[in-house]
Order: sequence, then structure tokens, then C-alpha cells
Amino acid sequence: MYAFEYHCPATLSGALADLAKADAKALAGGMTLLPTMKQRLASPAALVDLKNVPELAGIAREGDNLLIGAISRHADVARSSVVQAAIPALAKLAGGIGDPHVRNMGTIGGSLANNDPSADYPAAALALGAMIVTNKRRIPAQDFFTGLFETTLEAGELITQVSFPIPQKAAYMKFPNPASRYALVGVFVAKAAGGVRVAVTGAGANGVFRANALEAALNANFSPAALEGVSVPASGLNSDLHADADYRAHLIGVMAKRAVAAAG
Amino acid sequence: MLSGQYDIAAIYCEVDGVYTNTVSVDAVRGAGRPEATYLVERIVEKAAREMGRDPADFRRQNFVKSFPHQTPVILAYDVGDYPKALDKALELADYKGVGARKAASAAKGKLRGVGFSAYIEACGLAPSQAAGSLGAGVGLWESAEVRVNMVGTVEVLTGCHSHGQGHETTYAQLVCSRLGIPIENVSIVHGDTDKVQMGMGTYGSRSGAVGMSAISKALDKIEAKAKKVAGHVLEASDQDIEFKDGKFTVKGTDKSIDFVSIALNAYTAHKFNGQELEPGLKETAFWDPPNFTFPAGVHICELEVDPQTGVVTIDRWTAVDDFGKLINPMIVEGQIHGGVAHGIGQALMEAAHYDADGQLLTASYMDYCMPRAADLPSFKVDTIETPCPSNPLGIKGCGEAGAIASPPAVINAITDALGHEDVAMPATPQVVWRAAQKAVAKRAAE
Repeated sequence: MYAFEYHCPATLSGALADLAKADAKALAGGMTLLPTMKQRLASPAALVDLKNVPELAGIAREGDNLLIGAISRHADVARSSVVQAAIPALAKLAGGIGDPHVRNMGTIGGSLANNDPSADYPAAALALGAMIVTNKRRIPAQDFFTGLFETTLEAGELITQVSFPIPQKAAYMKFPNPASRYALVGVFVAKAAGGVRVAVTGAGANGVFRANALEAALNANFSPAALEGVSVPASGLNSDLHADADYRAHLIGVMAKRAVAAAG
Repeated sequence: MLSGQYDIAAIYCEVDGVYTNTVSVDAVRGAGRPEATYLVERIVEKAAREMGRDPADFRRQNFVKSFPHQTPVILAYDVGDYPKALDKALELADYKGVGARKAASAAKGKLRGVGFSAYIEACGLAPSQAAGSLGAGVGLWESAEVRVNMVGTVEVLTGCHSHGQGHETTYAQLVCSRLGIPIENVSIVHGDTDKVQMGMGTYGSRSGAVGMSAISKALDKIEAKAKKVAGHVLEASDQDIEFKDGKFTVKGTDKSIDFVSIALNAYTAHKFNGQELEPGLKETAFWDPPNFTFPAGVHICELEVDPQTGVVTIDRWTAVDDFGKLINPMIVEGQIHGGVAHGIGQALMEAAHYDADGQLLTASYMDYCMPRAADLPSFKVDTIETPCPSNPLGIKGCGEAGAIASPPAVINAITDALGHEDVAMPATPQVVWRAAQKAVAKRAAE
């Protein structure tokens, strides 16, 4: 690696001050940023490590919402009894991200801010109707993800917490890429008082998206059978050496059915 | 290898060479034999299915049954017992229970298939004259040097390098069983060009059959010389000296001396005339094999296909191999495990993809899919033994067999499950899913 400044602030205001410096980057788990730096695809002048910022930590239930601090690691979320009781599908999703190394370093805030098109968390945030809380505002997940590795986060804006409304039922089904084990197709299905949401990761050419036809069918009848014959169009889906768009479209239907069955 | 394990009167073979600027194939475990085996075993499986014959019976009927057997494609098989390996594999795989297991899979929406691979390979490279006639620039013998030190410890210098195959263990076992000394007194030296004389290396499953035969030949010389030393020490003719369990004994008497004492005597040279018998105990040998060796066996793959996703789950793997004599069965079993994993990778996962400009797309393990432990079942591994007649140890070789046997077993099992033959390697979930769709369409059309 090359030389860069390293800051490890102990408060949110300290972190924001450090991030205001020229060409500074926030470091959460570093699961994407550090490999990117090693490959010289990014070369920030300074890293601001968020691991000691107390305002970004903690997992709690407040009324009908599950609040997860931005620097909660995937392993923390997977093991949390609070998460397991409130939204077991989210704990299970976190426990299936990457491998043990990634789960013990990567964070929910880092994953959402990075918005990798094959990441798992964006599907959960979108399907559960999460609120992304930053130091400046509250952004509904629906408005947060704007494209491949793109979000509405602005310069100087940090995710501090994610607030998940607790659904009636939810499940996540992932079809892993055989090589990388990222989601080739991942489908998160959530049923809440406001209706059913189905979010798909790994498949969309533009990143995570909601499968409207599947939602309509499940709003009418929340059962795997309701999805029989409901197809997802292949247009707008990725085609690459691992899977063609039509196969991905087919897998979305299969994973959605299995998620509905698992949600019970 | 196009005759496989079968008695085939004539073989017509047409080969197309393709010019390419991408890496289409390179030498890796099996190097050519997996491709040949794939052709033969897919054809045989298809033939059995088209004739409505049980694939095991069809193979048994066509096996070579008498040896030596001259194939129409140069190679002459020396020894084997193909029906025995097949029968043992059928037993271990519980072949009789396949029908019930297929029904149980169908009941949960899965398709179960069984695939055979009755492979043969040629290894133990190679008679140097044969190698020369095929255009090789080198001879394919192997060398060994056995140095017995004054205190009876032994160093073996081998031209076969060990990079994970366990030569340090297997070779030492051979030496200590021959000389009757503890294994900790034997050290195997390899891979050091400063010390080791010219050697040809570890590849082509040759380290056992060729590398150890060279050591065996050097040990013969050590034994012959040690007997001469023992004759002098025990005051008997070396013709009357017997060597067994680390002891030299004068035939028919209780006069004996151990190996360590003879090693010391060989170097002190007090009991014999150093002008007539050279002091020291160190011998070199080169072994040039008179023939290839022909490991063979039967592998049976049993798997489940999820027709909804195309995901293949290998449920059972049975391997019965004939590697001739085994020195260390555990190391042999490890070689089978690794080879089968390698072949399953080829059958289900691994492929080098290039884009239209020749850029390699599968340039990291994030895209190039390697088999992992979770992708593999627990293997059932057994052997039969027909000793190889062309080397002193009766060894055939085992390093590549698993990788040679396994790809057609996997694809034969998938095509059995789907009832559709059009499945190419690697049978990724997408490939299998598409084949499953075709199978559904075909059944609907019928």
C-alpha cells in the first residue's frame, strides 16, 4: 500500500471533522475499501476509522422498530438475540454474508453505503421499508439506492443507524454465485401491515429493485402458490458468465416462492 | 486410451487440431486421460441406455477379460480384473437400492441419477525408448541414491520431488521395511539440485511405480554389498548370508549380525580387504520402466438435481481402484479424495472464459469456481489388487486416477437424472437448468 493518514476518532463530531479534510474516506469494516486501495483503484489521502464512534454502535428494539447502529458488524447482527427475536430473517441474512472473516469485519452501514449490486443488506432494507438515518436526515430505503454503488448520500454525510419496521413475516433466500458466493439472485420477502414487499439483489443491472408483479400476487394471496405463473421479465437483469438474464429471472421466481414458504 | 476397459476390435479416430490464441487446455492432473475417458465412458453409457441395457451389465459384458491384451490403439494392457472392481463398487454403492432412492428423491421434487465411469489410464512414465519414439527430448527413467551412514541411518536421494504427495513417508516406509530399521532413521532428500543427481520428476503418477522402483533397485545393490560385508564379518560365504528383518544370518546357523553393525563394518573396513571390496555403503540406481502401468477402476456417482434451479448435489461417491500393490493405503486414499474433488470441479464448476477480445474473464477465484469441501460428499473408497508385472514393487500409480475417473461419472449421473443427454461440462446450475427445461419439453412432446 501507499502512505495515507489514519484517523480513529472517538466521537461523531470528531469523525465528521476528520472527514471534512481533503480527500478523506470513511472506513467501516473495510471489506471493499481496503481491497480497492490495494489494487490502486482508490487512493484516499486519509482514512477515518469509525470503529470507536459510540453514536454509530448498538442494536435495540424501540416499539415496532429495530434499530441497528451503522458500525454493527454482520456477526453482531447475526448473533443478536434482539434481532433474532424481532426480525429473524435479518439475523439469518447477516449470518450468510460472505465468510466468517467478512462477517466479523464488515458492517451494515458500510454495506448499505457501498450498495454493491450483489450485496445482501440492500434487499433487506428495501423489502422491510427501512429508514436510513444519517447525521443530517432520515432517508427511506426506497429513495436511498440510486444505482450501482450509488446512493443519495452526500459529501460529509454518514449513516448513523438503520431503523427497520418489524414485519409480520419475512424471509430471505439467496442463490449464491458458485464461485464468489455473492448473491447471484437474492430475494427478500416481507409482509407488513402496509402490504408485501419483494426486493431482489444480485440480478438487476441497476442494483437492488422491487419485484412489483410478485408483490401484487402476494398482496392478493401470501403463499408460494400465488407466484405460480407470475414471471419476472428478463429485461433489465444482468447477463454475465455466471448466469444469463433469463436464468436470473427464473431464479427470482424460485427464490421468491421459497422465501414465502420459509416466511410461513 | 480410447479402448478404455473394453475389448474393442477396431477403433477409428479422427482428430481436429484447432488454432487458438487462448489457453484451451494445459497439462494438469491426468493430462489427456480425463478427456479420453470422458469420450469413452459417455459413449458407453449412451450405448447402454440406447440399447435398454443396465449400464453396469453392459460394461461387464464388454470388459477385457484376459491379459495381456493388445488394444488397437498401441497400448498393451498387462494385468487387471475389471469385473471384480465393478462388482465391489456396485456392492459398496448399494446399487440395488438406487430405485428406492430415486423414488424418495422424486417425492421431494428432486431428480436422482447414477453415473458410472470404468476408467483405465496409462501412467508410470515411461520406457525411455517409447518416449523417444513419441518425440520426447529426454529419457523417462528415474534415479535414486541410497546412502547408508556408519551409524546405520539412511539417506535416500530421489529425483522425484514431493510437493504434497507424501514421498517422505511412503519412500521411508519402503526403505525401513526392506532394511529392518526404524522409520526415524530414514530421511528422504528431494528437490535439492545441489545434492540430488539427475532426476526426471513427479508427474504422470510415476513417483511410486518409477521413483520407488529406482529406490528398490538401489536397495538391491545395498543388500548385495551388505551381504558381502556380512560374509566377511561372520566368516561365511556371502552366498550363505540371508537378510531378513534387519538381520544378516548365516544360513542354517544362529550366527547373525544386525544391519547397523554391518553399516559400521562397511566403513571401518577392518574385516575385509579394501582392495577387493570397496569400503562404504552407498549405491545409485536408474530405473527405466519396461512398460507403462495401467491403473483402472470403477467410480460411481449418485447425485440429486434440483430441477427448479439446476443445482446438483452429489450424494454418494464410490471408488474402487486397482493400483496394484499399495505401500501406504492412507496416502493412496488421500490421492483419490483429491483427484475426485479435482474431477468434480472440472465436471461441475471450472471453466476459463474469455471475452471476444481475448481478455480472460475468470482471472480470480471470485469468478473461476473451484470445488470446496462443502461441494463434496464423503467418499467411499476401496481397492482391489492385481500387482503390476513390470516393476519390482507391483505398483501402478494413483495420483491422477480420481481426476481421470470422475468427470464422466458426474455427467453420466446428471444425464441419468434428467433423462436428457445434452449436458456439457462444466455442468453449472444454469447449464443443468437449461437441460432440465429441454427434458421437460421432450417429455411433453412424447
